[in-house]
Formats: sequence, structure tokens, C-alpha cells
Amino acid sequence: MLSAGACFAAAHAQVPALEVSVAKHDGQPLSGAVITVERESAALGPAAPVKAIMDQVRLAFTPDVLVIPVHSTVQFPNSDAVSHQVYSFSSARQFQLPLYRGKPYPPVQFDQPGVITLGCNIHDNMIAYVIVTAAPFFGRTDTRGQWRAADVPDGRYRVRVWHPLLNEPREVEGTVEVNGTRGTLELKLSKALRPAPLGSRPHTWDY
Amino acid sequence: MRMAAQRLASCAVFLLCTSAIAPRGLAADWELSLDLRAVSSDGRTSFLDNGLGKLRFDDGDDGIQLGRLRAAWNQPLGETFSAHVEASTWDDDDKNPIDLTEAYLEYRPYPRAGWRTRVRLGAFYPPMSLESRAIGWETPYTIAPSAISSWIGEEIRTIGIEAQVDWLGTRLGHSFDFQLTGAVFGWNDPAGTMLAMHGFAMHDRQTTLFGRVGALQTDLEMAKKELFHEIDDRPGFYVGAQARYLDRAILNVLHYDNRADPAAEAVEIRDFAWKTRFDAAALRIETANDWTVLVQAMQGDTEINPYMLLTWEFDSQSALVAKRWGRHMLAARYDWFEIEFEDDPAASGSETGNAWAIAYSFDPGDHWRVALEWLRVESDVPARIEFLAEPAFATESKLELSVRYMLSGYF
Repeated sequence: MLSAGACFAAAHAQVPALEVSVAKHDGQPLSGAVITVERESAALGPAAPVKAIMDQVRLAFTPDVLVIPVHSTVQFPNSDAVSHQVYSFSSARQFQLPLYRGKPYPPVQFDQPGVITLGCNIHDNMIAYVIVTAAPFFGRTDTRGQWRAADVPDGRYRVRVWHPLLNEPREVEGTVEVNGTRGTLELKLSKALRPAPLGSRPHTWDY
Repeated sequence: MRMAAQRLASCAVFLLCTSAIAPRGLAADWELSLDLRAVSSDGRTSFLDNGLGKLRFDDGDDGIQLGRLRAAWNQPLGETFSAHVEASTWDDDDKNPIDLTEAYLEYRPYPRAGWRTRVRLGAFYPPMSLESRAIGWETPYTIAPSAISSWIGEEIRTIGIEAQVDWLGTRLGHSFDFQLTGAVFGWNDPAGTMLAMHGFAMHDRQTTLFGRVGALQTDLEMAKKELFHEIDDRPGFYVGAQARYLDRAILNVLHYDNRADPAAEAVEIRDFAWKTRFDAAALRIETANDWTVLVQAMQGDTEINPYMLLTWEFDSQSALVAKRWGRHMLAARYDWFEIEFEDDPAASGSETGNAWAIAYSFDPGDHWRVALEWLRVESDVPARIEFLAEPAFATESKLELSVRYMLSGYF
């Protein structure tokens, strides 16, 4: 409701906006997809860094996907009773947080754009992603597969889509023109997503 | 001197820093669980009472029984080492009131560039049963595991060193992971004794490291054995491989050979070194709507050479289907097993059998688990005629209710 209200206000004020919608190969909306938007002509700088939190609750990272601007920091508290040991061997940011409970470590800073896959060295099924972007506009699609940005300066923009279950042969992307009016872009996947992780098994399994 | 003082100071700072984290991160995790059973069984005298019945609880065991009292302890040792100890009490026939089923040191370095290594040193189960996936090496689907897993719990334990290497494809954007495992072990030379003495059985009683299967008897020849001994000073080995498709499907294969010298004998435990080899394969598929399909197969042989070479060939297969609705689960399993002694199906030592199990379980969370299982085993065991003057063929069934309460924490 809030974003719809904001959009209405934006349209009313005649501020250019951008709207991206992503559909799966069968036409159903793809929610939770990461959208990054960069201007092709006269590149805009990255968004301001943020301080984000990725918690660990009942042997799962929450949220399981985090998209942040470069130079942002992420705190990885452990709200479980058992210890976790978080690691990344992704080239964009390698780090390790030795066995811990609670919040003993300072936040981890992410300075290089890329997809960082996180795991726990104790609980092999735990997986999450931090997407670090240098794009000025970014976000995740809602349950209707839509994402909107307001106050988008005029120009031609390249829109890229990422999702942990993408199974596409090539990058999902497109370009859109914002010229004093709302720019819209519809993207559709060519193949079915990979199956989502099974999340509902009792935690006393997988001994 | 000054360098040494600086090093000492930096060591002290490091220790202070690590000790600030240690009380929370490096605390030991513990689990304690009590599993009580209500049993109604028409089983023949159990193999645990030196009979040839296939069930843990026979027709003399109706009523309330101890399923398992279990304590587990996991102690991180620094950043990448940890110690695991599993202790259990099953019944008052065992040699020690409480004993270990597993005890090992594990080395878990951080995965690097998509590769993960794990090393275990001590006593533990080989990575073979996709069924015994729950804590304490139990099956979450039924109370009694398949004939294959029952036998592994009874006779097989790796007492040695095992290394695993995983390629973590799913963390690199692919759909598959692959794993290779290799181990060298000792102290498992009697493995095969139980298959030759009472054949396959369907039960959840794991043999403890210093315990025994069967009741103590004055006639040691007839009494059941202690299984974790080194008799011939020849190490055994296993090699295994695993392929995983996301978290939906796992295929596991294992080749085991204890490389025992079948002519070697240990007078103190009145047993031979049983040269036991087997191949095992298992496939588990899980779906998004909470169905599980699990098939297992194992084939092998065991030999001793007291005065001439005697060979028992064994094989078993099982198929399980389970469906979960939230915290409720229904599972059905069919088992088939066969042992052939000296190529003669009618000989004492040979057997054929099959079993059906249907189980319902309710797993409401961290503390309680309730399970109800009906199990029926049909078996044709020629030794029943020779040793017990009973018909070779028997149909045994039991209805068993399990109520488990578990506590866990850290200190």
C-alpha cells in the first residue's frame, strides 16, 4: 500500500519513475527477484551504503537474500541456541566468522559488487546470498513480480535480474528509457526456475 | 628478549580476544533424550535373548519398555576441530549399563573455492544409510529401521580414520554436489558374526562400542558376541561416493571390505575374524509437497576358515514411502532379505524373509516425538529346525508406541 501510495504521489508530481515486472516462463509473477538498474549514458554513482542485518533463526538465514549497495555493512547475529560458523568463499567477498552465538563480531563490510554465497560450516543445509551492487537503483520484486523506483533521472537504463533459483542460459536483462515520464519494462524468463530448497524438515533430521 | 616480550604480549591479547568469544561460541552442546515404548508383540524369542526371532521385543516383552536413554555431547575444540560422543542405554542385557555408540574427533576446515574437506578420527558409522539421518543415528520415518540399517547398527562401526571431499556445486550456481569418501579402520573383524548366527533382524538397538548383542550365557559358544575387536591386525577400508541434486535427491554408494583373515581367531572372545565385504547403494528423493521415497540395496558375503572356508552370501533391499503433513508423518516400508550359506538355501545359516512396516509419527517440536509402528516380519530360517526344534517359517508382528522426550542446551 505504501509503495502504491508513493507511486501515486510520484505520478501526481510528474517525477519520472521506473517500473519493472518480471514473469516466470509460464507467465506467473516472479517474486523476490533482485533488480539492479544502471544508467547506460553518463553513469550514476552507487546508492549510499547501508547497515543491514542478516539473522540466523531456526537453522536458516533470514532474510535469505540481501541486496545492498557497495561499501555497506552486514551484521550476522545468531539467534539460535546452537553455534553457527558463517563463511563465504565467493570471490567478491571471502570471510569467516568462527563459531559463535549471539552477536560477538563487528559487521562485515562489502566493497566489491557481486553475488556472495553464504554458508554455515556446521549446518550444511544453510544457504543465503548477499548481492552487492554499484547500481544507483536496486530492490526486489513484490508478490506481483513488480518493482518500482521513483525520482529516476532521464536516461537509458540497463535492468538486470537475479534470483537464487534462476536457470537461464544467459543473463536476464533489458533496457528501458526514462524521458520525463514513467519508464516500464517487462521481462520474462525463458526456462523454469530450479526447485526451491525444502525448508520444512524437522531440525533433528540430518544428523 | 624484547621480541619475546612482544610475542608474549600479542599472544596474551589474542587469548583475551578469543576468550571473550569462547564462552559463547565454543561452548559444548549436549542432548539428553528418553524414549519409552509400549509394546505388543507375538515375536519368537528375540535374537537379543539368543533366539532366532527377528524383533527386538518378543512375545515375552509386552508392556512398557525402555526404548533408549541417550546422551550426546559435542565439544568444539578451537575453530575447526570438535569432539562428538554418543552414549546410550538400551536394555539390561548389555555388558555395561551405559556405553558409547559413537565417539570421534572431527576436523571441519572452512570450504575453499567450492571444495569442502571433512576428516573423522575415532568410532562412527560409515556414510551409508540415507534412512538413519536423525540425531542418534535413528530413522525419523519408523521406529525399527530397515533390515540393512538394523544390521549396520548391529555389526558395523568404523573405528579408524575417514576423509570426505565434497565439491559444492550448489554453492557455485549449479544443481549438483558430489562427494567422495574413503576410510581405513580396524576393530571390526567380527562383523558378519550376527548375520551367520541369527541372520537379519528388524530393530533399532545399536550395538555399543564395548557392549554385546545377546544375553550372557555360560556357554560362550552359544552366547552372542562382542563385535568391535581387532583379531588379525589387518586394517579394513571402505570407499564411497555421493551425488546430490539440490536438496531433493541423494544417491549414495559404498564398497566395504574389512579385509579380515578368515583363518584368524580370537580365543578370548571365542570368535573368528570374519572376512566381510559388501556393496551398498541408496537413493532418497524428497519433493516439495513432502513426499519421500527411499530405496536401499546391499549385497555382500562373509567368510571364516576354521577348518575349511565357509561362506555366507547376503543381500537385502528395501523401499520406503513417507508423506508429511506439517508435524505428522505416515511411512510405509517393505524389506526383503536373504542369506545363503555354502550355496544351500536349506542349510542352517541360510534364510529368506520380508517385512512390512507402517508407522505414524508426530513431531511437535524441540522436545517431544510420538511414533506408532506396526511391523510384520515373515522369515524362513532353517536353523530354527536344527537348533530350536521350531518350524523354519515364522510370521512375527508387533505394535509399538514410542514416546520420546528430549532436552538440549549448551554449557
